[in-house]
Amino acid sequence: MADSSAWIFFLSAVFATYVWRFTGVMISHRIEANHPIFEWFTCLAYGIIASLVARTLILPSGMLEEVPLWQRLIPMVFAFLGFYLLGKRLWVGIVFGETAFITLLWFGEISSL
Amino acid sequence: MRQFMKDLETNPKAVLKGIRNAFGVPALLLFSAMTGFGSMAQEQGLSLYISILSPVLIWGLPGQVVHVELYGLGAPLIAIVLGVAGANARFLPMTLSMMPVFDGAPHNRRWNYFLAQFISINTWAEMLNRGHQIKADRRMAYFLGFSLTCMIAGIIGVFNGYMLFESMPKMISLCLIFLVPIYFGLLMSNTIHPPFLLAFVSGCLLGPPMHLLTQEWGLLLSGLISGSLAFVLRNRLKGSGNIKEVNG
Repeated sequence: MADSSAWIFFLSAVFATYVWRFTGVMISHRIEANHPIFEWFTCLAYGIIASLVARTLILPSGMLEEVPLWQRLIPMVFAFLGFYLLGKRLWVGIVFGETAFITLLWFGEISSL
Repeated sequence: MRQFMKDLETNPKAVLKGIRNAFGVPALLLFSAMTGFGSMAQEQGLSLYISILSPVLIWGLPGQVVHVELYGLGAPLIAIVLGVAGANARFLPMTLSMMPVFDGAPHNRRWNYFLAQFISINTWAEMLNRGHQIKADRRMAYFLGFSLTCMIAGIIGVFNGYMLFESMPKMISLCLIFLVPIYFGLLMSNTIHPPFLLAFVSGCLLGPPMHLLTQEWGLLLSGLISGSLAFVLRNRLKGSGNIKEVNG
């Protein structure tokens, strides 16, 4: 199973990721420290990560796909409420979200019996 | 919480502080997310060695997932390279925007090519939000302590998932997977800069429809549009922007 082609595929994937990091460092060394490109690229990073989060939540692949959309969205709302209303603590938001998620899963399972 | 960072007088202290701050929610998140990845890698027939090296050498979950999925499908090499490059392209803007954090640090700038390997959403957000609270010459030590802790938690997670996932109750697996959007959603929405918040909100709205439009480039396009929109609007608010730059 662990033949050389698996390693070639893996190392290519490693390269395909590191090339972005390398380019990022290289560009940063060639421009001035307060160049607006830094802020633009921070905005881009926020935009890409936000798209990724929303896609994982709304159009997931794998196991999460089997959970109905509303059972993913409502826990997310609870996570945000817990986080922003109770002092912006990550673990509070996570506990709120996961509790709502488990509760809905549990009721979902009961109603489908 | 605000003053503690300034007390970091020596590098060992900064490393320890980084380890301590990562030990908790950030490490738990990496452990959970990589548990999911480990089980997937096992399912797709990836060897344990490659699975464990994946978080170390790729260190970007979407790209790792694409690699495993396409490998499992028997896709050609070029498809894997392009797929992974597309899924992990965010590391270009993330790396570029994080480098000013290390400006003024005494280390040789060539080290930045090494430090860049440890950038993930987690460690990037940590340095952007709190990096300025640390003395410039302690930031590298703090960053390495924080990042290595996350990475080790990720490696343990992959091992755990590879070995145990099949015997894990489905409810627990689902909760581990659901932790990822919750965590990153909260982490990224919690910014005090209006343009970043605008980029986040518009990225959330644009991401799913753009993904439906084109699976390969949807996230990048959506990020490019929402990020640039936020940048342009920020410049207009200040009245000092050079809008042409956005096209570059």
